[in-house]
Order: sequence, then structure tokens, then C-alpha cells
Amino acid sequence: MDWLYFTEAETAALLLSIKVALWCTVISLIPGVATGWLLARKDFPGKPLLDSLVHLPLVLPPVVPGYLLLVLLGSQGIIGQWLQQQFGISLAFNWKGAVIASALMAFPLMVRAVRLAIMQIDARLETAASTLGASKLRVFLSITLPLAAPGILTGLILAFSRSLGEFGATITFVGNIEGETRTLPLAIYTYTQVPGGDAQAMKLVVLSVLLALAALFISDALERRAARHLASSSHD
Amino acid sequence: MIEFELDLKRGNFQLQASLNSEASVIGLFGPSGSGKSTLLSLLTGSLQPQHGRILVDGRCLLDTARRINIPVHQRRIGMVYQEGRLFPHLNVRHNLSYGLQLLKPAQRRFKLDDIVALLELGPLLEQRPRQLSGGEQQRVALGRALLAAPQLLLLDEPMAALDDRLKAQILPFLRRIKDETGVPMLYVSHALHEILTLTQHIAVMQAGRLLAHGDAYEVLGTEHVLPLTQSLGLENLLKLQLLPSPQESGCSVALCGQQQVVLPWVDAVAGCEVAVVIPASSIALAKQRIEGISIQNQLHGTIRAIRTHDQRALLSIDVGAELLVEITEKSRQDMDLQCGDSVCCLFKTQAIRLLGHQRKA
Repeated sequence: MDWLYFTEAETAALLLSIKVALWCTVISLIPGVATGWLLARKDFPGKPLLDSLVHLPLVLPPVVPGYLLLVLLGSQGIIGQWLQQQFGISLAFNWKGAVIASALMAFPLMVRAVRLAIMQIDARLETAASTLGASKLRVFLSITLPLAAPGILTGLILAFSRSLGEFGATITFVGNIEGETRTLPLAIYTYTQVPGGDAQAMKLVVLSVLLALAALFISDALERRAARHLASSSHD
Repeated sequence: MIEFELDLKRGNFQLQASLNSEASVIGLFGPSGSGKSTLLSLLTGSLQPQHGRILVDGRCLLDTARRINIPVHQRRIGMVYQEGRLFPHLNVRHNLSYGLQLLKPAQRRFKLDDIVALLELGPLLEQRPRQLSGGEQQRVALGRALLAAPQLLLLDEPMAALDDRLKAQILPFLRRIKDETGVPMLYVSHALHEILTLTQHIAVMQAGRLLAHGDAYEVLGTEHVLPLTQSLGLENLLKLQLLPSPQESGCSVALCGQQQVVLPWVDAVAGCEVAVVIPASSIALAKQRIEGISIQNQLHGTIRAIRTHDQRALLSIDVGAELLVEITEKSRQDMDLQCGDSVCCLFKTQAIRLLGHQRKA
């Protein structure tokens, strides 16, 4: 077997994985930062409940969120039907559904990273900014957000990596359709189920490891750069 | 200028304070935990009282009865904290202009360049807060607050985290701000001499209440306040005129009114003004000049007022400047000191603490 030759199916799985992971990262950004901020800075009734809900995907077997997504967002689900009728959007058994599934599973990691980053910012700086005339939104944008940037970046990379590895929720919600929802982990799984597919599975396993290492390496480099920027360089 | 009535209960702590003052600079003095910082948070609006009313220059910022509550960022009350609270991700220039760039051109009161010149921040502009010394950070914090064009500037122990040398560096700037900008200030400290450098108008706070406010000596002599100043150590702040003196002697000589004071060596040219602190309890009194004594300073003066409390007497003595002297009530009675008596105030050179001096005469 040629290690450098990728079949069309393998290339499709790789590109799909990256597409799904990128979209997952993009759609997690705003809700992840908002939820992280809420949990770090605000006290409100139901905060422990929200905290638990956000973290559920971390502790549940991934098949459970996947099944719930299928029930709610599938073509027969309440939200799924509504989306279909109102906007003509279908999430069931296509790559968009795979994005939703992996975003849900990656969300706790994103929120934890953001919350930790925001909690480490001295809230008194935010008070100082407001006495200087900054509205709450401006304080958030000009003080909180830049100071939390390294943590947010970590969260995004974690979400990206988690999405690359997503298996259980994806296969339950959107199935294992070649070219549509068969990401790398699903492709590996498929090959292991086929007699004689071991070598192909191994090839994709190596690819997955390399991809994950690259993501972690880039994350580390970006974080160092952000930390250095915060510490020393000039504002402009 | 400022008028407030505030009522806040939080757990076991209750703050009930009201003030109505026209003074441009008010010093708020009180022991730690007396509620000074809480009062400031109420004024800026980061804390809400159960009941209250705040007016600054006739502008209503809070009136619980009328359901008026201007949010923090619209109150235009500047704040300088004990720690600079500079934004670590912005350089000095951007820290300074943070509030300025949020103002409409018509609301702006100072130009960046003017404040930079006033506080001598030019060489620091491109630096990051963590590269600055504590004193420099406080100067930037002062500038940043001023540039936001506050109608009232609150200073919450802005020098408490600085050592004496740095305090001496900041004090002249505070005086400059007071003299040159005309921004009304409420200066909070538990160090009375710091307050007295800036203003004679003080308010005293204890256990969540404002005990008194008005002219410093009047206030400090009142029955409730005197024990407080004694426990915190009452200090005199004097401004002296430096006379030429040889460095070999290790001491400098300066003029207090018409009389000479020998103080620790000051590295400044003759004619400069020197600010010194002398604790009221470090001064002894004698009925006449004493010869053959190691104490270098014997200032003649006249007793202007006497207040006694709890076996201690606080005397105000005119030696060309006002000097507060604290002795036991027993010595006062033994010496039979009365208002109008002339006395000699004795204090050692070492009892004098230098605060700072003008750079040139």
C-alpha cells in the first residue's frame, strides 16, 4: 500500500473533517464567549443549572447527545421540522448536522477555557474602565475581550481538535454517509469493520494523530504569541 | 459643589453618611474599615445604597426617592485607586486617552499633551504599565482620570501603596492638579498629614458615619474626633523655607515663620520650600527656652487653643505657623498652661520626617 496515495474516499473524509471542524469553531465562538463570560462574571438564578447543562456533553456517553439531537433536530423532530418549513434548512444526515453535533460536544471545552480566562482578569480593571465613561459593552470589548484573548484562542483550538475527534454524537445524529458525514473517525471505524481494511484504517489513524498534533502545535504557538503581545508589545 | 445623603446596609455593616460642602478639595479621613472606600463606591455608582441622593455641582446623579440613578459610566466621577489599575494590554498613551476618546469634543476639558506636560509623563508614553514604577503608575492613573473630564475626582488612598520617597514625588503633582485644573476632589486617606498637604477642609469618618466636616483644626478638636486622631497619630505638616547650610553638618536649616528649624539634610538649594512632617506627640513644651540640651529645635509660640479628652490635651500653638502639640492632661495641669500663654516647642531633628521639596527656588 502506498502511504502517500490517498483514495478519493480518504481525501473526502479528510477534507470533510477539516470543514466540519472549522465550521464548528466558527459557530462556537460567540455563544462560547458569551456563556463563558456569563458564568465568570454574572450571578443569576439558574446559574448552577446552566453550568451543569453546558458541561453535560463532557460526562454523557456521546451517543446520548447524538440521539437527543436526532429527536429534536432530525427531520421528524420539532425543531427540525420547523427549520425545514421556515428556512428550508435540513440538518439530518448531512455535514451541517455533523457541525452541530461536534459543536455541541466541543462547547464545554470552549466555555471552560473562556470562563477561566475571564475569571483571571482583575474585575477591578473593568470597574476602572466604567468610571472613565465606558459602557458595559465597551468595557467588554476594550478590556475584557483583549485580556481574555489567549484563553479564547485556547478554547477555539480545543473546540477544533475535539470536533476532529467527534464520533459518537455524529454517527448517531447524521449517520455514516460517505462524502457527506463520514469524517476521519467515522472512516477509520468503517475500515475496521471491513475485512482487509486494517491498513487503510492505520493510514487514517496516523493522519489523525498528525492533524491533532498540528492543531496543538499551532495552538501553543498562537498562545505564546498572544501572551507576548499582552505582556510587552505596544498597543498599535 | 457636592451634596449627598447615603444609607447602605450590608450584612453587619451600616453606612449612613451625609455631606453638603462647597469646598473644592475635601479630605476624607478615617481609620481602615470605617467605610471610606464603600462611600466612594456609592458615589461612583458601582454600589447601590438602599436610600440616597447625590448631587454634584447641582447635577443629580442619584435620587432613590425619585428613581433617578445615573449609571457609572455616565456619572463623570473620576476615580484614582490605591493600585493604579492601569490596563495592562495598553501602553501609557492609550491608557491616558481611554476616557478622553469616549468624550464628545465639547465635553473634553483637557488635552492629552497638557496633562502629559502637567504630570511629566512624556518619556513614559510608549511604555507598558508593568514597566513603570509605583509612583509612575499613579501619575498615569491621575492623568487618565483627569482626561476623562470628571466633574468630581475621587482619590482612594492614592499614595498608600507608595513608600515615603515616592509619596514625596506624587504630592507636588496632586497640588498642581488642585491649583491648575480646578477639578473638585475628594481625597481619602488614613494619613492626616497627606490630606493636610492638599486641603484644610476635612471630613472624618468612623464606623460608617461622617462624624464631622469643616476646617481641619475645628474638626480635629471635636470630642468624637480627637480620640480618633490620637489613635492614628496626629501629625503636623509644615512648609519651611530652606536656608543656606553646609552639607558637612549633616543637617539643613530652614525658616518656619521667623524662627529657625534644624532638620535632617535636604539636598536642595537655599530658598526652596521643604515639606516636613512632625508627629504632634513628638513635641514637648517648656515655659521658657532651655539651655544645655541636645534638642536642636526650640520654637517660641503662643497657645491659641486647648482641647482635652481622656487625659490627653491637644494644643494649637502659633509659632508663625500652626503647630499641634499633644501632651498628657497631667503635664498641662502641672505646668498650668492656658490659652494665650507663651511656650517653647521642643522637638528633636530626628523627629522630623521629610516629605519633599521644590526642585528649584
